[in-house]
Amino acid sequence: MSAAAIGSAELTALLPIVTLGTTAVVVLLWIAFRRNHAEAVWLTLGGLSATLLALAPAAGTGPRDVTGLLRIDGYALFFIALFCLAAIIVVLLARDYLRERAEQPEEFYLLLLTSLLGASVLAASTHFASFFLGLETLSISLFPLIAYATRDARALEAATKYLVLSGVASGFLLFGMALVYAETGSLAFGGTAPAATAVLQAGAVLILVGVGFKLSFFPFHLWTADVYQGAPAPVTALLATVSKGAVFAVLLRYGVDAPLARLPMSETVLGTLAGASMLIGNLAALAQHNLKRLLAYSSIAHMGYLLLAVIAMQRIGPALAAETLGFYLAAYTLTTLAAFGVMTAMSPADREAEEIGDYAGLFWTRPAIALLLTLSLLSLAGIPLTAGFIGKFYLFIAASHAALWPLLGLFVVGSGLGLYYYLRVIFRMAASVGEGTAPGPSGALQVSLGTEAALAFLGLSIAVLGLLPASLIDFLAAEALR
Amino acid sequence: MNVDRVQVESLVPLAIYFLLVLGVVGVMLAIPRFVAQRRRSQARDEPFESGILSVGDTHLHLGVHFWPIAIFFVIFDLEAIFIFAWAVAVREVGWPGYLEMLVFVSVLLAALVYLWKLGALDWRTRRQQLQDSLLSERG
Amino acid sequence: MQGLLPLIPLCPLLGCLALIFGQGLMPRRAVPWVGAGSVGLAALLTGMVGGQFLGGSLEPVTVTLWTWLRSGELGPDFALYLDALSLSMLFIVTGVGFLIHVYSAGFMADDPGSARFFAYMNLFVAAMLILVLADNLVLLYLGWEGVGLCSYLLIGFWYQEPANGAAARKAFVTTRVGDTALALGLFLLFTELRTLDIQPLMEAALNHWTSGDPTASLAALLLLGGAVGKSAQLPLQTWLPDAMAGPTPISALIHAATMVTAGVYLIARMHSLFELAPDVLLLVAVVGSVTLLMAGFSALTQTDIKRILAYSTISQIGYMFLALGVGAWPAAVFHLMTHAYFKALLFLGAGAVIHSYHHEHDIFRMGGLRQRLPVAFWSFVFGSAALMALPFTSGYYSKHEILLAAYAGRGGAWLWAGGLFGAMLTGLYSARLLFVAFFGRANTHASEQLGLSMKLPLFVLCGLSLLGGFWVIPLASVFGETAVVPHPPDGIGLISTFAPLVGIAIAAAFYWQRLYSSDNLMASSLGQPLYRLWFSGWGFDWLYARAFVEPFKWFARINQRDGIDGVYRGIAALARAGHAQASAAQNGRLRWYVASLVSGAVLVVALGAWW
Repeated sequence: MSAAAIGSAELTALLPIVTLGTTAVVVLLWIAFRRNHAEAVWLTLGGLSATLLALAPAAGTGPRDVTGLLRIDGYALFFIALFCLAAIIVVLLARDYLRERAEQPEEFYLLLLTSLLGASVLAASTHFASFFLGLETLSISLFPLIAYATRDARALEAATKYLVLSGVASGFLLFGMALVYAETGSLAFGGTAPAATAVLQAGAVLILVGVGFKLSFFPFHLWTADVYQGAPAPVTALLATVSKGAVFAVLLRYGVDAPLARLPMSETVLGTLAGASMLIGNLAALAQHNLKRLLAYSSIAHMGYLLLAVIAMQRIGPALAAETLGFYLAAYTLTTLAAFGVMTAMSPADREAEEIGDYAGLFWTRPAIALLLTLSLLSLAGIPLTAGFIGKFYLFIAASHAALWPLLGLFVVGSGLGLYYYLRVIFRMAASVGEGTAPGPSGALQVSLGTEAALAFLGLSIAVLGLLPASLIDFLAAEALR
Repeated sequence: MNVDRVQVESLVPLAIYFLLVLGVVGVMLAIPRFVAQRRRSQARDEPFESGILSVGDTHLHLGVHFWPIAIFFVIFDLEAIFIFAWAVAVREVGWPGYLEMLVFVSVLLAALVYLWKLGALDWRTRRQQLQDSLLSERG
Repeated sequence: MQGLLPLIPLCPLLGCLALIFGQGLMPRRAVPWVGAGSVGLAALLTGMVGGQFLGGSLEPVTVTLWTWLRSGELGPDFALYLDALSLSMLFIVTGVGFLIHVYSAGFMADDPGSARFFAYMNLFVAAMLILVLADNLVLLYLGWEGVGLCSYLLIGFWYQEPANGAAARKAFVTTRVGDTALALGLFLLFTELRTLDIQPLMEAALNHWTSGDPTASLAALLLLGGAVGKSAQLPLQTWLPDAMAGPTPISALIHAATMVTAGVYLIARMHSLFELAPDVLLLVAVVGSVTLLMAGFSALTQTDIKRILAYSTISQIGYMFLALGVGAWPAAVFHLMTHAYFKALLFLGAGAVIHSYHHEHDIFRMGGLRQRLPVAFWSFVFGSAALMALPFTSGYYSKHEILLAAYAGRGGAWLWAGGLFGAMLTGLYSARLLFVAFFGRANTHASEQLGLSMKLPLFVLCGLSLLGGFWVIPLASVFGETAVVPHPPDGIGLISTFAPLVGIAIAAAFYWQRLYSSDNLMASSLGQPLYRLWFSGWGFDWLYARAFVEPFKWFARINQRDGIDGVYRGIAALARAGHAQASAAQNGRLRWYVASLVSGAVLVVALGAWW
């Protein structure tokens, strides 16, 4: 813990996180002196690229504990890389989105960088202090991001709801940490207690409540749809991918490291949350006609699916669980970004293309965009030849190895329900232009080359991960998750 | 570590406490229904502030600048606590600690510069700002 | 040569893809060039490959392209197999196919869907080539289904007419019955012999089974089921007359020259297996001879020019089955070849008549077309001569061989007599068609307007129908020398030569010189029901409608709201109710959300404690 423990190797290991922090400060000062949208974008992109480059030397130092708060290993670096990639795409999307809408778009990138900093710390944290700090850095950056369109009453409402509910959830989280600390006397994940007392157990469950809120498990899921709908589409993309991915990363690490997460009751609790989330998320999405809300409900279900990997971890071992989680989150991140990217590209300057009716006949008017959204929805539904299928397949294998039969049954039921509402959107897109009520929002945003490149990359990677999953799987198994 | 199921007996006090809380709240909510008079009059519906009748509108126009400044004060004040903590252990942490604190303070400084350039520390209202700029143009 | 072989099916496949993806981009004039050109290229390649093969030792060649799929012991390669038998088929499919494509360029010139037409045609040729070149039964099955699909698509080519769609559906469903039998046969063969590669399979069958083994008979019977479906033999022959709803070149290519003979090819290809099942082989012969007679009688009563030819096709394939059944494999393949020439010629000639005469099909409304449509007339003369097996035409040699083999075969005189009577019938109905449509009083206003692209194939096919009998691909390397037929007494040959002449004489008496009236015959108390029976194709459609279609429809009707549907409706209703519940919780109120969060937390803690 002492400062003297930081040598050059530790600094190298921390390099990605340090680069992110430095970029945030540089962007902050740059905005203070030169307020220019394009320059802020380029600085942010440069900093994110530098972070990606810094991953290589950091990986070279091997798994390493830094200051007792963070562990920089393949697992953490993989997620940092994933988040940086997602952030680059969000930057490209936001650039087009904010150009027409925001008076001062530059701070968006600053907040994006700080939220990314929080997410990166979360992915590497092995200690309650870094856990909480990372989570709060992430959340507090997200509040203003959600409310970034300050003239939109719905955005303000969403931000307020998220703020208040996050506060409540953080309270539960802190209370849980305090109870655990009271029993174990250590804030590190690995702290042990002499006996599984009720206090310890209550602490563990309360931590789950706090985490479950962020991941929007049933019954802590009610905020999801409202916040997704209110936030600007690029922010929703960030919220759905980076925020959830980071919390899941820390949840799995907590599950692996902390012996108290392996209490027999935690399997019951997690199983109940997972099963209920799968069912409720899919049911709520069933007749939804707002695409943003639909994706919000579907994310509840997806988080439920993903919880299977964490539950199965106790029986199949951390390596396979981490591999499953890594692949699924990568696939889910790319897919969700693609969906919200399409939404951003489709939105006119005065509103967002969030109704399914806005996409009627899209195949005939903008076939490339329609194809990408179709690919993304099929991947979310887990249709073969997409990344989402491989992810689901992985989960299925993991859950069946762990013999989680009732949950597996719910998984299948949920996927069946999911197919219904994903295909509904696709059918709507294939409807001929005459049939639909609205032929897509008129005057959709002028899409820049950057957005086009980002969307093309997303479509390509969903297909490649679906066709040649071995490329990522081998990497995950060999390198990333040691 | 004993990972067997926790004895339910140890939770009995907690459960009793929880039920007691529920009971007390329920009783408190129920009492007025039986005891209080149900009558409406103008005087009854007035807001009551420690015996003083309220006057005027509650929607006061406070300068919005007041709030950010207050928040900045609290934030920077809190950051100072970290410097106090460092000061206590300054010999133990040595030069690396000094460097860390330097980084911390410079990040704070950067934030202050940002706020300053943003005009967040400017006390004037928008109208005053406009007048000042007109004056400086004439001058 | 090995390198060229895979290109043969590839050419039409590429043509098909080019036509599909070039739709709208390709100029209209280019469509027939691509369509016919790709098949022409395949024909050219076949010529080169065939020349080399026939010049060599006639040793079979196998070209393995890649392993198609692998599942346990089943690992069929995508492999092509060339021997004298598949080469014969190759010549027919590409050669006759090319001529018909050229003809179609003229025939379909004004049709708005000509690109679609040529795309389907090319796809058909590709599938047929895969069928005949397949080295294993799985690949053969792929081609088998491919040609079935193309047949369906092309029968219903003019899909605006509901009757055409119905005919296409009928063809598809009826052949599907046979296809199912074939698939079962493949499963049986695989479970018994653990391979589906044809040559190893034949060897394994010879080692594994003795003659008359029940399993071998069952496998042969199932394959026969597939063959009768595809080749429109009893009892699955009902679809072919209706299939004439498609454009006439389709009838020539698919429903006369190539696809319908796939059943014959299948049995010839699997002849070792059938030799192990003599009873089934006898059944093949019986099916063939009964079919040829029944179809002959039906042809006698039809008035639609294409339906006459369709029944004639069924009848001629019956001859091929007869030849297969008596073990005269080369004779069957020989007749397959000559039949492809003259029946393609007849259909294309019929197409010329229809094309020149406002799409009229009824021969009794024609008459005297001899002068007005000389090209069509001479096509019919040559084609009918070969069909009737008049001496020195191509049909004579092949049919003669079949009749001689039938006389010497196991069924003996009965099969021979059937074939002989069939030959007489052939003469009768062919001459009837010729006399009614082309002779007599000219009561039409038809004028022949045939482009070169339509005339040229007719000329070439005329030549082939006349002289095709002199060119035989030696099949001994495939079927063995023992298949050579012993010579029966000379009298038998003489009788079979004269049988068609009897038919022609009767037809001349009735329809040319009009010495007797056919109307009186039809009106007689015996003639009327017989006429109706034959005209309706022996009432099979009626029988099948009563026995299968209507009970099925009835069952479907009473089963409309069954319990199983109820389960699914229940699931849907349950899901909807769940959705209503789940979305009712989303009321947008913050305090409700917080309350839910907190009570959720309490519940979760309670759940944890309870456990």
